[in-house]
Amino acid sequence: MNGEQPAVVEQGAARKSSPGLGWNELSAELVELFASIKLAMFLFLVLAMMATIGTVIQQNERPEVYIKEYGEEAYRWFLRLGFTDVYHTWWFTGLLGLLCINSLTCFHKRFPAVWRSMQQDKVNVALPFIKGMKHQAEIPVAGSKEGVAEGIVQMLAEKGYRVLAKNDAKEATLYGTKGVMGRVGAHMAHLSATVIVLGGLIGSYWGFQEFGVCLEGQTYHIPKGNFDLKVDKFWIDYHPNGSVKSYNSTLTVLEGGKEQLTKTISVNDPLVYKGIWFYQSSYGDAWDRVEVARLNIKDKDADKVVGTVDLEWNKEKSLDNLGLKLAVTDFVADFGFNSSEKKVFSKTVEHANPAIKLTITEQPGPKAATVQATPWIFYNYPDLFDIKDSKYRFELVGYQPKKFTGLQITKDPGVNIVWIGSTMIVVGITLSSFIYHRRLWAKVIPREGGVTVHIGGSTHKSQIDFQKEFRKLTERIKTMST
Amino acid sequence: MLRSLFLFDMTFWLYLAALGLYVGYVLAKRPGMQLAPAGHPGFGEEDSPWAAQIGQVATIVTIFGWVVNTLALGTRAFERMQLSGTFAPWSNQFEAMAYVSWAIILGYVLLEFRYRIKAIGAFVVGIGFIAMGAASLLPYRYQTAEPLVPALNSYWIYIHVSVTLTSYAAFAMAGGLGLMYLVKERAERRGSRSNFVAALPDLETIDELGYKAIMVGFPLLAFGIILGAMWANYAWGGYWSWDPKETWSLIVWLIYGAYIHARMTHGWEGHRAAVYAVFGFLMVIFCFWGVNFLLSGLHAYA
Repeated sequence: MNGEQPAVVEQGAARKSSPGLGWNELSAELVELFASIKLAMFLFLVLAMMATIGTVIQQNERPEVYIKEYGEEAYRWFLRLGFTDVYHTWWFTGLLGLLCINSLTCFHKRFPAVWRSMQQDKVNVALPFIKGMKHQAEIPVAGSKEGVAEGIVQMLAEKGYRVLAKNDAKEATLYGTKGVMGRVGAHMAHLSATVIVLGGLIGSYWGFQEFGVCLEGQTYHIPKGNFDLKVDKFWIDYHPNGSVKSYNSTLTVLEGGKEQLTKTISVNDPLVYKGIWFYQSSYGDAWDRVEVARLNIKDKDADKVVGTVDLEWNKEKSLDNLGLKLAVTDFVADFGFNSSEKKVFSKTVEHANPAIKLTITEQPGPKAATVQATPWIFYNYPDLFDIKDSKYRFELVGYQPKKFTGLQITKDPGVNIVWIGSTMIVVGITLSSFIYHRRLWAKVIPREGGVTVHIGGSTHKSQIDFQKEFRKLTERIKTMST
Repeated sequence: MLRSLFLFDMTFWLYLAALGLYVGYVLAKRPGMQLAPAGHPGFGEEDSPWAAQIGQVATIVTIFGWVVNTLALGTRAFERMQLSGTFAPWSNQFEAMAYVSWAIILGYVLLEFRYRIKAIGAFVVGIGFIAMGAASLLPYRYQTAEPLVPALNSYWIYIHVSVTLTSYAAFAMAGGLGLMYLVKERAERRGSRSNFVAALPDLETIDELGYKAIMVGFPLLAFGIILGAMWANYAWGGYWSWDPKETWSLIVWLIYGAYIHARMTHGWEGHRAAVYAVFGFLMVIFCFWGVNFLLSGLHAYA
């Protein structure tokens, strides 16, 4: 975001090296290429186009999705070109890398001139230089050379210009400058690109992002932080109209068994401990336990429901009138049986074929032996298994699954660097948008009966504002004569 | 709810009236008004007070419309506060559009007061009116103040959304000025000496003002994107997830970034810059509307 101006001043010095193809020439050519604004524009537009691809084609989907939508041949091309994950392809990263090189080279090439103009300014310019400027005027003023020069210096100083003056026998030369911070801002923005990309890289190398499904009351070890996390509670708050207000989990951090910190997190309010962030990300029905299960107890002989009971998880309940003690001791959401290990498990997390394991202790009569059984009771197939010796049949008529809370666990050591880069880019662009660098040169040359003021100015943008300012300035210089 | 909807409705009609008046102003203005030498009442000179009067009324109606727009947003904020305890009057597509037109009109009024060029109103107030009109075309269920979903329920909505929408308004202004440039340029090339052409400011001024509008929008959009990244870092578990909306806002930003660099090389003034400003504004419209309706993603709330 730098104009032509510094180049104009420097042109003489830059082109002195002898012709040939040495390292100096090559590096000069490379700097020229990588610092070019054309390359910047090209990169901006190509990045914009490539980023568009990623919004039109769905990213990171399963192959079937692409094949169904675009056909097999297209999908093969997508894979070859990386269109299924545009933002992580080598060429997208390469473009970002080029953008960094571009902005850094630009900084390297152009910032020294800005820096120099902050340190020392070129006061001495020839008269044709002033006359050749875009905004220039020639004003006859009555008065002495020193007096008029003094007046202009004051005028510019009032406007916030930094003014330098040189008084020779023949003429007085003045130089005023303002708003160089606009240029500094542009370069700050240039550097920020690299800072942000660097932060991103650090995050992707040393950070991690995991997803945890956590049940109330359980404690989980977080190996990467070497501490434990206890999930105390999960619940949902609702608005009066029934829509969800917030999802909340109360979490406690434990270190060496000692409680360190308890916090209730919700969607916009994560828990941060030792650089690891815990986000409320999702929730759902647990597939391996229930809060409460409702059973109908049927008398086999009479084929009649003799009782309904709500059983809490792992809590034995006595039904003295029926001679029963019941407890729900296991649950699977999607019943599966591993025959080699003789183990029941949940095939999926969906509640496709839910079943509870019921632990029954039955006392059929005062003198009869107790019947012990642990049958699986299926919600979808009430009559699947008969319990021998029992007077009853049990039907699972409903249950309330325990909720799990889905926590996203993230560590990103690069994030603060990204924020530094972000601050630089916002401050930099703002400075360069609203402050523009203006430079004015004036020569006060004595003539008969007064002096002639030659004044010229330039800016790299905001031409109409500068024009206005310049016009006002020249008007004021004109009125100095009266 | 009805109170704010009534005020939004009224804003719509006032902006329509303002637009009509500005168009009237542009058409009524006579070339003679500027070209006739002083003291020589030329042809069309009697029309100038006429035009000036229309212009004055247009400005007054615009300001009144803006005040009503402000009241509508304020009333909506109050209604939201009572319903769900958050007040941001830009929490759904409808409110966002109404806010954008508020920002466009505010920007225009400031521009008119600073540069005293009324003819721009025929284009820029037009865009503000279209934004308001498009909002009122949304189905009723999009216009009501439903409570925020949990992901939006955060103080970040106050700054991230307002800053981003303000940048859209600035780009809308630049787009309107670009269009105006092209219209004027075309008429000039045809040698038209109509009232219309004479009423418009000269090409260089239009060009420079359009550039200024982009220079306001560009840092605002950068700031809006960064604020969005900060919010995402709190709500989504990462500052950047290549969600269509954030990608598109980046695309828009890159497009204007290319423009700003192109302008530096001095090749991109005038015609090219105007075409580009209109193109950029179309991209903004897609980012604001298209993404919500055509692409799914984390921003799909409304």
